[in-house]
Amino acid sequence: MGTIDISYWNLLVGLLMMGIPIYYLQKYKTGLVKGTVVAAVRMLIQLFLIGVYLKYLFKWNHPWINFLWVFIMILIASETAITRTRIRREILFIPLCVGFLISVGLIGTYFLGFVLRLNNIFNAQYFIPIFGILMGNMLSVNVIGLNTFYSGLQREQQQYYYLLGNGATYQEARAPFIRQALIKAFSPCIANMAVMGLVALPGTMIGQILGGSSPNVAIKYQMMIVVITFTASILSIMITIKIASRRSFDKYGRLLHVFKEEKKK
Amino acid sequence: MLKIEDACIAFGGIELFSGLCVHIDDGEIICISGESGSGKTSLIKAIMGFVPLKKGTITIDDLTLNEHTIEEIRKKIAWIPQELALPCEWVSEMIRLPFELKSNRGINFSKKKLFDAFQELNLEENLYEKRVNEISGGQKQRIMIAVAALLQKPLLIVDEPTSALDSISSERVLNFLHKIAQQGMTVLAVSHDRTFKLGCNKVIYL
Repeated sequence: MGTIDISYWNLLVGLLMMGIPIYYLQKYKTGLVKGTVVAAVRMLIQLFLIGVYLKYLFKWNHPWINFLWVFIMILIASETAITRTRIRREILFIPLCVGFLISVGLIGTYFLGFVLRLNNIFNAQYFIPIFGILMGNMLSVNVIGLNTFYSGLQREQQQYYYLLGNGATYQEARAPFIRQALIKAFSPCIANMAVMGLVALPGTMIGQILGGSSPNVAIKYQMMIVVITFTASILSIMITIKIASRRSFDKYGRLLHVFKEEKKK
Repeated sequence: MLKIEDACIAFGGIELFSGLCVHIDDGEIICISGESGSGKTSLIKAIMGFVPLKKGTITIDDLTLNEHTIEEIRKKIAWIPQELALPCEWVSEMIRLPFELKSNRGINFSKKKLFDAFQELNLEENLYEKRVNEISGGQKQRIMIAVAALLQKPLLIVDEPTSALDSISSERVLNFLHKIAQQGMTVLAVSHDRTFKLGCNKVIYL
């Protein structure tokens, strides 16, 4: 069975539904109308562009071009994480790039090579969506985790220095803050995992069923997507924190200024 | 035990003090005193490597403080900051925290020894089971002094150990510190308390 295409006219008919949220956001003077319209327009443009470049990526199906795409995604994701965490670029940019690259490379390759057992793991049909979904999940988890880690260290400096001053190694003194970062970043993932299939049907599975796969195949892909996104996310945040620590603490373990200076109004 | 030679601490080009030389022997109780902003807390933080010296050296047990020796030096120290606020819900959790560190794993945590110290510091045993927000600042100070004694480190650094205590409790704390100093622990305390200063072996004025 094939997927029914949506004509541009029908797409416009579907977009009319956005009138309902905009009506309520306007009625209760939330101040979110402009943001919603801008976000919706951005979403449409970005997805149209993705449609165009994915078409060519699949057409060319060349390993180096696919690699280049992953590399560009890593740079964009790192830049986005820096903007959203407000942590200084010189501290976080390279650790984020390395964290994303190693995690997406290891976990993505493992899945494509050892689980799907593809002859050509760089086949765009699998390589692009799998690496893309990994990147998206790693980005959101890293933003929450890194923010929690560094803001916790800054807020609870007394605890950090108390532990150091009583003989803790750097790793021990930072452990409570890493713990907090992991709890905050992964609790929603764990909660989602626990109710998957009960409360909501997950995106990958829906996509595959709409694309014509049998539910039996779709659930297996969904299971693996959950596992690889969870694993890659935790791996990337641990690598990023490890590398970023060399730049965010001095040789005596003192926390440096990690957040960008707020502009005075 | 502790040697400070020609030490100078400066922030933003302003010197808090300079040319400071201090020699402290094992088992001494030293008080650091001076006006607010004279650099008392900065000095003890410099001994732990939290504040850089502009000039001079700090040596603890023949180890000169630098980036290579700092972890080793910190293993020799028990530290109690002023108005300690750890994110612990229970007093027992707060007490056990330093014992969970690798460098302190050789020291067996003993409730009996803790309660003996509690008694000497006029603390009730049931404080151990309480929530941190149920105890007073003075009780917290004395509890942490008891914990530091149990850690049996060569050097105890404590910031304002009697700031939240009445004169009788201050005297008990001083007597307790003398007792642990006799067992070989060197005590370095920042204090404004006149009675406390008088009871120390030396006073360093900044």
